[in-house]
Amino acid sequence: MAQTTAPQPQQIGPKGMGPGFWPYTIALTVLNVIFALLILFAPLDFIMPGWSHPVTDRAADIDGLFKFMSVFGFAIFCYVAGYVAYFAIVFRRRPGEPAGTIGVVVHDAPKLEFWWTVIPSVLLVILTGLSIVVWYKIQFGTGAPALTMEVIGHQFYFEYRYPGLKGSVYSQTDAMHLPIGKPVRILITSADVIHQFWAPEIRLKAAAVPGLVQNLNFTPTAPGTFDVACSEYCGVDHSVMQGKLVIESADKFEKWLAAQKQRAAAGAHPIPLARGNAASGKALFAQKCSACHAIAPFDKKIVGPGLAKLTDDPQHPTLVTGKSPTRDHIAEILENGYTGPIGAMPNRQANGLSDQNIADLVAYLVSLK
Amino acid sequence: MATAVATAPLAGHEAVAARYLEVDPVYAETRSIRLLGFVFFLLSDCVLFGAFIFAYVYLRISAPTWPPFVGNHRLPWFDTAFAALNSIVLFGSGVTMHFALENWKHLNRQKFYRWLIATIILGLGFLLGQAHEWTGVLRGGVTWPGSTMGASFFTLTGMHGFHVFVGVCYLTVLGLQARRGIYTGSKYFGLTAGTLYWHFVDVIWVVLFTLFYVW
Amino acid sequence: MEAGTTAPHVGHDPHDHIHPPPEGFIRKYVFSLDHKVIAFQYFITGLLFMLIAGSFAELIRLQLWEPNGAIMSHNAYDTMFTIHGTAMVWLVVIPLVTGALGNFVMPLQIGARDVAFPWLNMLSFWILPVAGLTLFSTFLAGGAHAGWTEYPPISLADGTAGALWCAAIFLVGISSTITGLNFMVTIIKMRAPGMTWTRMPLFIWASFATAFMNMFATVALSSALFALFLEHVFNVPFFDANRGGSAVLYEHMFWFYSHPAVYIFILPAFGVISEILPVFARKPIFGYKMIAFSSLAIAILSFAVWAHHMFPSGISPWLQLTFMIITYAIGVPTGIKVFSWIATLWAGRIHFTTAMLYAMGFLITFTFGGITGIFLASVPADFHEHGTYFVVAHFHYVVAGGALMGFLAAIPYWYPKATGRLMSERMGRWSFWLFFIGFNATFFPMHWLGLEGMPRRYASYVAFATGNPDAVFWNQFETVFSFLMVVSIGLLAWNMIWSIRHGKPAGINPWGARTLEWTISSPPPYYNFRKIPIVYDRPYDFDKPLPYRNLDNDIDAYPEPSPVLLRQEPVRAGA
Ligand code: HEA
Ligand code: HEA
Ligand code: HEC
Ligand code: CUA
Ligand SMILES: [Cu+2]
Repeated sequence: MAQTTAPQPQQIGPKGMGPGFWPYTIALTVLNVIFALLILFAPLDFIMPGWSHPVTDRAADIDGLFKFMSVFGFAIFCYVAGYVAYFAIVFRRRPGEPAGTIGVVVHDAPKLEFWWTVIPSVLLVILTGLSIVVWYKIQFGTGAPALTMEVIGHQFYFEYRYPGLKGSVYSQTDAMHLPIGKPVRILITSADVIHQFWAPEIRLKAAAVPGLVQNLNFTPTAPGTFDVACSEYCGVDHSVMQGKLVIESADKFEKWLAAQKQRAAAGAHPIPLARGNAASGKALFAQKCSACHAIAPFDKKIVGPGLAKLTDDPQHPTLVTGKSPTRDHIAEILENGYTGPIGAMPNRQANGLSDQNIADLVAYLVSLK
Repeated sequence: MATAVATAPLAGHEAVAARYLEVDPVYAETRSIRLLGFVFFLLSDCVLFGAFIFAYVYLRISAPTWPPFVGNHRLPWFDTAFAALNSIVLFGSGVTMHFALENWKHLNRQKFYRWLIATIILGLGFLLGQAHEWTGVLRGGVTWPGSTMGASFFTLTGMHGFHVFVGVCYLTVLGLQARRGIYTGSKYFGLTAGTLYWHFVDVIWVVLFTLFYVW
Repeated sequence: MEAGTTAPHVGHDPHDHIHPPPEGFIRKYVFSLDHKVIAFQYFITGLLFMLIAGSFAELIRLQLWEPNGAIMSHNAYDTMFTIHGTAMVWLVVIPLVTGALGNFVMPLQIGARDVAFPWLNMLSFWILPVAGLTLFSTFLAGGAHAGWTEYPPISLADGTAGALWCAAIFLVGISSTITGLNFMVTIIKMRAPGMTWTRMPLFIWASFATAFMNMFATVALSSALFALFLEHVFNVPFFDANRGGSAVLYEHMFWFYSHPAVYIFILPAFGVISEILPVFARKPIFGYKMIAFSSLAIAILSFAVWAHHMFPSGISPWLQLTFMIITYAIGVPTGIKVFSWIATLWAGRIHFTTAMLYAMGFLITFTFGGITGIFLASVPADFHEHGTYFVVAHFHYVVAGGALMGFLAAIPYWYPKATGRLMSERMGRWSFWLFFIGFNATFFPMHWLGLEGMPRRYASYVAFATGNPDAVFWNQFETVFSFLMVVSIGLLAWNMIWSIRHGKPAGINPWGARTLEWTISSPPPYYNFRKIPIVYDRPYDFDKPLPYRNLDNDIDAYPEPSPVLLRQEPVRAGA
């Protein structure tokens, strides 16, 4: 056993906390204060250019919470990274130091440890408090809803149902509408797999789970047209499962709703794409379309392009209209026809198609993989 | 150090065996390592049952009615009386296994084999009972893929039955090993493990019985 | 021997090694029982899988180059992120940090000749390649698409591929459970005499906490996947809402494991950092007890936070509240660790070796990822952030910037022990900076992309890019920089290969470290310790002689880093 040979290693330590430690700490603190003020008082889209304006009361609450978290999250990170960098520079081993040199031997500092347990805990308690306030508002804080509507997730579109309206809006091109200043409740569920309803401007999302109805409650506060995105993986077209949300004044909303009711009453439903039947579509296709289209890759033309793999063709990612290959955009072509560089595709009247025919054809076309 | 090791684990049952034979310290240590490993194995096995029990409780609590409906047919309750009878068979086998091990420790080989065979027979009896129980449940319209009730019932009791089956095989192997002279009066870890396993299977059954037949 | 030295040890003589020395190639290198060989097998397998999973990551990045990326079909993209996530988690990080690192270091650090159940150790390794092949065979069955979380009902649409996915991960689960059990018993029963709980190196504490989670949580994963498998194959309704099942139930079962799992990745990395910082700062670790106990606190708390992954998924508001609070609580023990590490740096004499660079990089990136974790844990904020690239940013900061980085720190640190050669410091520094810059540039912009509205698992982000034209720039920026990571890892691999022949001889203890593995020759002999050492203090006190008796080799009482480390000079003979 040779535990006695080498001499006691030499300790090198700083005077106090280290050269320039306190000025550095003050500098970090000043930086933090500046950032805190910036984050608290500058609008978020000043800091993050793409950040959208909150358009509901809850969104504003969440933004407030987010600002608070950013202030102290930034501060903590700033101190951690700041001191790591500072110690790395100040306490680096200098060339030429004897090999056995060691740093200052400290095992603990109970006071320090006490504070760095307590301060984060206090911060987290404050954060818990703030989160609970906002959480309470989200869950229980919106009074009796003036409007209750339903959102139903389908592969791959959102269906919106309004009270008093028998049918529902099936097509994604038809936006969801909400009135300003009225408390609304959105009931969310799914017809097939799990989806998620999310409009970034609302800052709220809820999963659409089959067999379960969730709700979101808030009051819209600002007008505009916004994207609705599906934020839970739901299948191949998850990333194109988009919708639109229109927030408008209560008057406009009432008018829109009345018009929808009229349409519903007149039986003029929007095209019920969900009810398409691929088998009848196939028969119909042979009859009405095969003169011009083959079920073949895009570049195998007859008159029009080949239509196999419309929805999932890396060589031809969008439709001829430049839109993403969703059911609705395909339906749009069948509805209106399209004239482009390849030639002219007849519209619905010319091809003699009913709503159901279109739905069937679309169902058939998207089933081709 | 060796003596410290040799005397430390000599509590309880071992003391009995030590009266007859000296304990080897290296063996004592190996044994304590294996024992701990085996206990951990049983604990992690508990989590397996725990997860499915959680699933069952979750599904049952969130179901509007229990037993649930399949179409218009409300599924029947399980037959508690028969299951209770069958449980007694299983618990009885726990008791016989206990006696088997005790007899081994006291070097009563003959009695050991008798109790062990009794345990195996009771275990097989329980499995037969389960088979009967399953046919009854199936006849009542509860099927594995048919409903959440069937799904949780057949999966859990099936897993348990599988454990009993493995246990029966395990005990048989232990008996054969004992005959080949692998175990001695002081070195019989396999038998301890087998007994622990068998008691574990009993305990799981208590929980399953309560959840399916009593609740 | 002093009081408290209760842990005895099998084999007081190398011939009593708990298994006889192997003979023949197969026994020595393929079906070896030796923990060091098994660690090496894990290492190679893990790196091979990383190559695949990492290539998939780069394909993902290429697809996202344009909003409507046409590198591959949407279907193919879905399999890419599914297999990328699955493989990185279960075939790369967990095998590397527990299987490779834990197997190599843990028995050496506790002064044992092997793990408690060498045969089980071999078994749990050999399950892994089988699981890996099963996982990759999903491609032959049409591909698994539903993400690494494999939520039903969408995962049920994958049919055979989904069932194979379940089988693969079920196998990984078995393998982890066995490893966890084995390590638990080893650490409890086989420490060298005198190594009491509070004298264990911190890596052992971390391994212990990890093994605990591996043993208990992983079975829950296996159960969840078993249930999902039954639903796939036999149509048994656990999760099908039409027959009374519940999709949310699966999420509970999955996350009950998978939250502890993320701490399974990170705790060994914490252990690595706790070993490396004191050695290269050349001073005792600060707050030994707090670091050790916070590992346990994290391990225990981690079982009670799983539903923070499910805030918008349909759980009761009161559950959201409870889980939010417990999740916050986990920040406190983690903070204690981070602060203790920083205090360890204070007034040290810091050697900037490659391992130390990675460790300091870890401090920065992990803290950042942890803080974004706190952002996610707030229920209202999570309603905005869930399912977006903000989450992707958070978890890559903790998994790639934390767990992977900790592992990368461990490679140059223990490589000399495993091979007897030092790695090139020059290449090491390059690979660190490439990784650090590439990593941050890849994942930092994801934070605001997510907050601005970019959902994850999107094969194309046309709609988002229409509203936020900058998104295209930032995605391309990420893609470009993500290749720095590939270069870095490639360089690291090359460094390892190059150093086997050209590295400087390492000697017994090149770093002047004080844990037990540095008291035996490099590479360690088959039986590790000729004489089982006796431990009488903690290993971190650089001002005191080594706290061991009965060592195999005469190494200096106050070990110094080898001259190779200080200036690039040949190492002193015999040191
Ligand atoms: C190594 C892996 C790892 C680690 C360590 C963590 C650590 C943490 N994670 Fe993370 N997480 C993941 C891996 C990990 N996570 C993965 C893979 C996912 C996504 C899964 C998927 O959906 O695919 C995820 C997702 C995820 C979510 C769900 C998001 C969503 O889908 O909506 C949440 C929500 O609460 C969360 C929270 C946290 C928290 C609070 C911590 C904490 O443990 C962090 C604690 C650390 C610190 C806080 C920093 C250091 C502390 C200080 C410096 C002290 C002072 C600090 C304060 C006072 C705040 N994580
Ligand atoms: C431990 C885990 C881990 C690690 C290390 C990584 C590493 C990386 N990840 Fe991954 N990632 C996940 C776990 C991980 N990821 C998970 C769980 C998901 C979620 C999946 C889901 O949604 O279901 C995800 C999802 C995910 C996405 C989101 C996909 C989407 O939602 O649509 C992206 C996008 O950029 C991404 C990118 C990357 C990149 C660029 C790296 C880089 O760090 C990778 C760098 C490359 C390598 C590390 C190795 C490559 C090296 C070579 C090829 C050369 C080597 C040469 C030799 C050896 C000779 N990952
Ligand atoms: C008179 C010939 C003609 C008939 C009949 C016809 N089409 Fe077309 N179709 C075209 C042409 C030409 C185009 C290409 C337009 C362009 O891009 O210039 C086209 C384009 C399309 C596209 C878009 C393809 C893509 O990849 O974006 C679809 C979908 C389509 N047709 C479906 C149908 C269906 C369904 C029918 C049967 C009801 C039908 N067409 C009948 C000529 C025809
Ligand atoms: Cu619907 Cu994703
Ligand atoms: Cu988590």
